[in-house]
Amino acid sequence: MILLLILFGLVVGFIFGFILTRTGITKYPRVIGMLLLKDFKILKFMLTAVVSSMILFYLLGDIGLLKVIPKNLDWGKLVGGLIFGTGMGILGYCPGTMMARMGEGKKETILALFGMALGIFIYALTIKTVKQLFLLGEINGDISVLLGVNRWFIIIPAVLIFSAIIYFVNKNFDDNKKIF
Amino acid sequence: MDIDNSKEWHWFKGGILVSLLSVATFFIFAAIAERNYPFGITAGFGFIAAKFGSLFEGLNENPVIKRFGEKPDALIEFFLLIGLVMGGYTASKLSNTFSTENIPAVWEKYHGKSLVIRYIFVLIGSILLGYGAALAGGCTTENILQGWAHLSLGSIAAGISFFAAGIVTAKILYPKVGRTQ
Repeated sequence: MILLLILFGLVVGFIFGFILTRTGITKYPRVIGMLLLKDFKILKFMLTAVVSSMILFYLLGDIGLLKVIPKNLDWGKLVGGLIFGTGMGILGYCPGTMMARMGEGKKETILALFGMALGIFIYALTIKTVKQLFLLGEINGDISVLLGVNRWFIIIPAVLIFSAIIYFVNKNFDDNKKIF
Repeated sequence: MDIDNSKEWHWFKGGILVSLLSVATFFIFAAIAERNYPFGITAGFGFIAAKFGSLFEGLNENPVIKRFGEKPDALIEFFLLIGLVMGGYTASKLSNTFSTENIPAVWEKYHGKSLVIRYIFVLIGSILLGYGAALAGGCTTENILQGWAHLSLGSIAAGISFFAAGIVTAKILYPKVGRTQ
């Protein structure tokens, strides 16, 4: 059984890493270019994946094959998000692309791997305080339940908004423009 | 600074492939790890942190150490990290983009060649990345690629915070980029 888990992890990681590197999502100038609002290839990639999987997840959900459980909202999501975003801006990559970059021969990612694990370790040491400060008082994360409407009243506008963003940035920004 | 982008896949192709991978892993995770969520990344780093934490007796009952040390999905995601390295290696070799470098070329151009300075930033940045991902319940993969697709309120808040803080940080590090063009 444990071998199956290991093999599954390796295969999924391999495919994901292959896609990230092959699409150029791992490149430092692309990540920083996106954060400087000048290169939107990564945003287009992400929103395409989001729109496509959103439709697939909820269609498969409607026919009863799977059940998505949305993440609840608490202060940890916002505060943690800001801490994470600062780290991402300093590094120029996120955890997934960090590991794919390691495979591309970028040496500093080895240090970043240990730093990230250390960050989680520090989180474990501070969990009592953090829980009291940020993790109590969750709000249900399912927007359709909160608003009391059918899911598709949320999904269809979301798909349209994300597609409009993709269309807009694709029309107005050239992925291959020299930024740096 | 010129970057060779000619060999890259189109963003649409990459995005669709990732969405198919998300859906496929949802089913497999549900079947073998009793988890109602597609693949993520953070728990793999959490696994390393938990193995380190288990060296200290006082941390045996720590909920974070226990969660990442005992749940099977953390083990899967640890090997997923190794898979990512192999995938990145194979893709970069196939497209001839593999290159060893100490620090990013763009960083070097704007902030100098000092390895020490960059590595200090890398260490601080990665600690923030780990702490933030743990607190926000996931990184870009869980909270945007998966969480936005699930229309999770928590993930939408986390994802917007990622970008907000990332944009400010990038602007502080590269205040002059683009102004002269």
